[in-house]
Amino acid sequence: MTDAADLERRYRRLLRCFPTRYRREHEQEILSVLMAGAAEGQRRPGLADSADLVMSAIFIWWREVTRQPRWQWERRHPRLIVRLRVAIGIWLLVVGAILVGEGYWLGVLMVAPAALHFYLAYRLRHAVLS
Amino acid sequence: MGIRAMQEATFLILTALAGGSQHGYGIITDVEQISDGRVRLRAGTLYTALDRLRADRLIDIDREEIVDNRLRRYYRLTSPGEKRLADEAARLQANAVVAMSRLHPAGVLR
Repeated sequence: MTDAADLERRYRRLLRCFPTRYRREHEQEILSVLMAGAAEGQRRPGLADSADLVMSAIFIWWREVTRQPRWQWERRHPRLIVRLRVAIGIWLLVVGAILVGEGYWLGVLMVAPAALHFYLAYRLRHAVLS
Repeated sequence: MGIRAMQEATFLILTALAGGSQHGYGIITDVEQISDGRVRLRAGTLYTALDRLRADRLIDIDREEIVDNRLRRYYRLTSPGEKRLADEAARLQANAVVAMSRLHPAGVLR
Protein backbone atom coordinates (compact mmCIF):
# COMPACT_ATOMS: atom_id res chain seq x y z
CA MET A 1 0.00 0.00 0.00
CA THR A 2 1.33 3.46 -0.87
CA ASP A 3 1.97 6.09 1.78
CA ALA A 4 -0.87 8.28 0.50
CA ALA A 5 -3.39 5.43 0.58
CA ASP A 6 -2.22 4.56 4.08
CA LEU A 7 -2.69 8.14 5.23
CA GLU A 8 -6.09 8.43 3.57
CA ARG A 9 -7.29 5.25 5.29
CA ARG A 10 -6.24 6.67 8.67
CA TYR A 11 -7.91 10.01 7.99
CA ARG A 12 -11.11 8.21 6.97
CA ARG A 13 -11.06 6.35 10.26
CA LEU A 14 -10.76 9.66 12.15
CA LEU A 15 -13.61 11.18 10.14
CA ARG A 16 -15.90 8.44 11.46
CA CYS A 17 -16.06 10.50 14.68
CA PHE A 18 -18.45 12.91 12.93
CA PRO A 19 -22.25 12.48 12.76
CA THR A 20 -23.51 10.72 9.59
CA ARG A 21 -25.37 13.76 8.30
CA TYR A 22 -22.24 15.90 8.54
CA ARG A 23 -20.08 13.20 6.92
CA ARG A 24 -22.44 12.78 4.00
CA GLU A 25 -22.17 16.52 3.44
CA HIS A 26 -18.46 17.18 4.05
CA GLU A 27 -16.36 14.01 4.28
CA GLN A 28 -15.04 14.10 0.70
CA GLU A 29 -13.99 17.74 0.77
CA ILE A 30 -12.45 17.53 4.25
CA LEU A 31 -10.45 14.55 3.03
CA SER A 32 -9.32 16.60 0.00
CA VAL A 33 -8.09 19.38 2.29
CA LEU A 34 -6.30 16.96 4.63
CA MET A 35 -4.58 15.18 1.74
CA ALA A 36 -3.65 18.48 0.06
CA GLY A 37 -2.01 19.61 3.31
CA ALA A 38 -0.10 16.33 3.82
CA ALA A 39 3.68 16.30 3.58
CA GLU A 40 5.46 14.15 0.99
CA GLY A 41 5.65 10.54 2.22
CA GLN A 42 3.49 11.24 5.29
CA ARG A 43 1.78 8.06 6.47
CA ARG A 44 0.14 9.09 9.73
CA PRO A 45 -2.17 12.00 10.59
CA GLY A 46 -0.35 14.69 12.56
CA LEU A 47 -1.23 15.14 16.23
CA ALA A 48 -2.53 18.70 15.77
CA ASP A 49 -4.73 17.72 12.80
CA SER A 50 -6.10 14.69 14.67
CA ALA A 51 -6.87 16.75 17.78
CA ASP A 52 -8.54 19.40 15.62
CA LEU A 53 -10.74 16.77 13.93
CA VAL A 54 -11.78 15.20 17.24
CA MET A 55 -12.56 18.58 18.82
CA SER A 56 -14.56 19.63 15.75
CA ALA A 57 -16.46 16.32 15.85
CA ILE A 58 -17.39 16.90 19.51
CA PHE A 59 -18.56 20.42 18.63
CA ILE A 60 -20.64 19.20 15.67
CA TRP A 61 -22.17 16.40 17.77
CA TRP A 62 -23.09 18.90 20.46
CA ARG A 63 -24.76 21.11 17.85
CA GLU A 64 -26.54 18.09 16.38
CA VAL A 65 -27.87 16.93 19.76
CA THR A 66 -29.07 20.37 20.83
CA ARG A 67 -30.61 21.36 17.48
CA GLN A 68 -34.12 22.59 18.25
CA PRO A 69 -36.80 21.54 17.90
CA ARG A 70 -35.66 18.16 16.68
CA TRP A 71 -38.82 16.14 16.43
CA GLN A 72 -42.36 16.78 15.28
CA TRP A 73 -43.84 15.67 18.58
CA GLU A 74 -41.49 17.98 20.43
CA ARG A 75 -42.82 20.91 18.43
CA ARG A 76 -46.41 19.77 18.87
CA HIS A 77 -46.28 19.31 22.64
CA PRO A 78 -43.60 21.72 23.85
CA ARG A 79 -45.09 22.31 27.31
CA LEU A 80 -45.36 18.59 28.01
CA ILE A 81 -41.82 17.91 26.77
CA VAL A 82 -40.32 20.73 28.84
CA ARG A 83 -41.97 19.35 32.00
CA LEU A 84 -40.96 15.81 31.07
CA ARG A 85 -37.32 16.80 30.56
CA VAL A 86 -37.21 18.72 33.85
CA ALA A 87 -38.77 15.71 35.60
CA ILE A 88 -36.21 13.33 34.07
CA GLY A 89 -33.40 15.72 35.04
CA ILE A 90 -34.57 15.89 38.65
CA TRP A 91 -35.03 12.11 38.74
CA LEU A 92 -31.48 11.60 37.47
CA LEU A 93 -30.14 13.99 40.13
CA VAL A 94 -32.08 12.16 42.89
CA VAL A 95 -30.78 8.78 41.71
CA GLY A 96 -27.26 10.23 41.54
CA ALA A 97 -27.58 11.63 45.07
CA ILE A 98 -28.83 8.28 46.41
CA LEU A 99 -25.93 6.47 44.72
CA VAL A 100 -23.39 8.90 46.18
CA GLY A 101 -25.10 8.54 49.58
CA GLU A 102 -24.67 4.79 49.32
CA GLY A 103 -20.98 5.26 48.68
CA TYR A 104 -21.00 4.90 44.87
CA TRP A 105 -19.05 8.00 43.94
CA LEU A 106 -19.63 7.38 40.22
CA GLY A 107 -23.18 8.57 40.92
CA VAL A 108 -21.88 12.13 40.36
CA LEU A 109 -21.76 11.21 36.65
CA MET A 110 -25.58 11.51 36.71
CA VAL A 111 -25.10 15.28 36.75
CA ALA A 112 -24.08 15.26 33.07
CA PRO A 113 -27.25 13.71 31.55
CA ALA A 114 -29.39 15.67 34.02
CA ALA A 115 -27.72 18.91 32.88
CA LEU A 116 -28.32 17.96 29.24
CA HIS A 117 -32.05 17.43 29.92
CA PHE A 118 -32.30 20.77 31.74
CA TYR A 119 -30.47 22.49 28.90
CA LEU A 120 -32.71 20.94 26.23
CA ALA A 121 -35.80 21.91 28.24
CA TYR A 122 -34.48 25.47 28.49
CA ARG A 123 -33.76 25.63 24.75
CA LEU A 124 -37.18 24.25 23.83
CA ARG A 125 -38.89 26.72 26.15
CA HIS A 126 -37.16 29.58 24.37
CA ALA A 127 -37.48 28.20 20.84
CA VAL A 128 -41.18 27.36 20.93
CA LEU A 129 -42.88 29.06 23.82
CA SER A 130 -41.50 32.57 23.49
CA MET B 1 -25.52 38.56 15.55
CA GLY B 2 -24.57 42.01 14.31
CA ILE B 3 -23.77 43.34 17.76
CA ARG B 4 -21.28 40.68 18.74
CA ALA B 5 -17.77 41.01 17.37
CA MET B 6 -16.73 38.46 14.79
CA GLN B 7 -14.02 35.91 15.56
CA GLU B 8 -10.79 36.55 13.72
CA ALA B 9 -10.86 33.19 11.88
CA THR B 10 -14.39 33.96 10.61
CA PHE B 11 -13.33 37.44 9.54
CA LEU B 12 -10.34 36.05 7.63
CA ILE B 13 -12.42 33.33 5.92
CA LEU B 14 -14.94 35.93 4.71
CA THR B 15 -12.07 38.18 3.59
CA ALA B 16 -10.55 35.29 1.62
CA LEU B 17 -13.89 34.78 -0.15
CA ALA B 18 -14.33 38.52 -0.82
CA GLY B 19 -11.75 38.21 -3.62
CA GLY B 20 -13.77 35.50 -5.40
CA SER B 21 -14.93 31.93 -4.81
CA GLN B 22 -12.42 29.44 -3.38
CA HIS B 23 -12.27 25.80 -2.30
CA GLY B 24 -11.26 24.58 1.18
CA TYR B 25 -7.52 24.30 0.71
CA GLY B 26 -7.46 27.59 -1.20
CA ILE B 27 -9.12 29.32 1.76
CA ILE B 28 -6.53 27.85 4.17
CA THR B 29 -3.54 29.08 2.14
CA ASP B 30 -5.18 32.46 1.49
CA VAL B 31 -6.02 33.00 5.18
CA GLU B 32 -2.42 32.13 6.06
CA GLN B 33 -1.20 34.73 3.56
CA ILE B 34 -3.64 37.46 4.62
CA SER B 35 -2.70 37.00 8.29
CA ASP B 36 1.03 37.00 7.49
CA GLY B 37 1.37 33.35 8.49
CA ARG B 38 -0.21 33.92 11.92
CA VAL B 39 -3.46 32.00 11.34
CA ARG B 40 -3.16 28.46 9.99
CA LEU B 41 -6.66 26.94 9.86
CA ARG B 42 -7.00 23.18 10.19
CA ALA B 43 -9.51 21.10 8.25
CA GLY B 44 -11.92 20.37 11.13
CA THR B 45 -12.04 24.00 12.28
CA LEU B 46 -12.42 25.30 8.73
CA TYR B 47 -15.44 23.12 7.91
CA THR B 48 -17.09 23.78 11.28
CA ALA B 49 -16.85 27.50 10.41
CA LEU B 50 -17.96 27.05 6.77
CA ASP B 51 -20.95 24.96 7.89
CA ARG B 52 -22.04 27.66 10.34
CA LEU B 53 -21.48 30.51 7.85
CA ARG B 54 -23.61 28.64 5.33
CA ALA B 55 -26.37 28.10 7.89
CA ASP B 56 -26.26 31.86 8.59
CA ARG B 57 -26.47 32.45 4.79
CA LEU B 58 -23.28 34.54 4.75
CA ILE B 59 -21.67 32.16 2.24
CA ASP B 60 -22.99 29.62 -0.25
CA ILE B 61 -21.68 26.80 -2.44
CA ASP B 62 -20.54 28.23 -5.79
CA ARG B 63 -19.65 25.07 -7.74
CA GLU B 64 -18.05 21.65 -7.46
CA GLU B 65 -15.14 20.17 -9.38
CA ILE B 66 -13.36 16.84 -9.35
CA VAL B 67 -9.57 17.27 -9.52
CA ASP B 68 -7.35 14.15 -9.32
CA ASN B 69 -10.35 12.13 -8.10
CA ARG B 70 -10.90 14.56 -5.26
CA LEU B 71 -13.93 16.71 -4.63
CA ARG B 72 -13.34 20.45 -4.67
CA ARG B 73 -16.30 22.47 -3.47
CA TYR B 74 -16.01 26.20 -4.09
CA TYR B 75 -17.63 28.67 -1.72
CA ARG B 76 -18.62 32.25 -2.43
CA LEU B 77 -19.72 35.24 -0.39
CA THR B 78 -23.48 36.05 -0.51
CA SER B 79 -24.73 39.66 -0.43
CA PRO B 80 -25.62 39.42 3.30
CA GLY B 81 -22.09 38.04 3.74
CA GLU B 82 -20.58 41.02 1.92
CA LYS B 83 -22.56 43.40 4.08
CA ARG B 84 -21.57 41.61 7.29
CA LEU B 85 -17.89 41.67 6.31
CA ALA B 86 -18.07 45.38 5.33
CA ASP B 87 -19.73 46.25 8.68
CA GLU B 88 -17.12 44.31 10.63
CA ALA B 89 -14.22 45.83 8.65
CA ALA B 90 -15.62 49.34 9.28
CA ARG B 91 -15.96 48.57 13.00
CA LEU B 92 -12.36 47.33 13.23
CA GLN B 93 -11.12 50.33 11.25
CA ALA B 94 -12.97 52.78 13.51
CA ASN B 95 -11.42 51.12 16.59
CA ALA B 96 -7.97 51.18 15.00
CA VAL B 97 -8.28 54.88 14.11
CA VAL B 98 -9.14 55.78 17.72
CA ALA B 99 -6.29 53.64 19.05
CA MET B 100 -3.77 55.22 16.66
CA SER B 101 -4.95 58.78 17.38
CA ARG B 102 -4.55 58.26 21.14
CA LEU B 103 -1.14 56.67 20.75
CA HIS B 104 0.03 59.47 18.48
CA PRO B 105 -1.93 62.63 19.40
CA ALA B 106 -2.03 65.54 16.93
CA GLY B 107 -0.79 63.30 14.15
CA VAL B 108 2.74 63.13 15.53
CA LEU B 109 4.18 59.84 14.38
CA ARG B 110 7.07 58.39 16.24
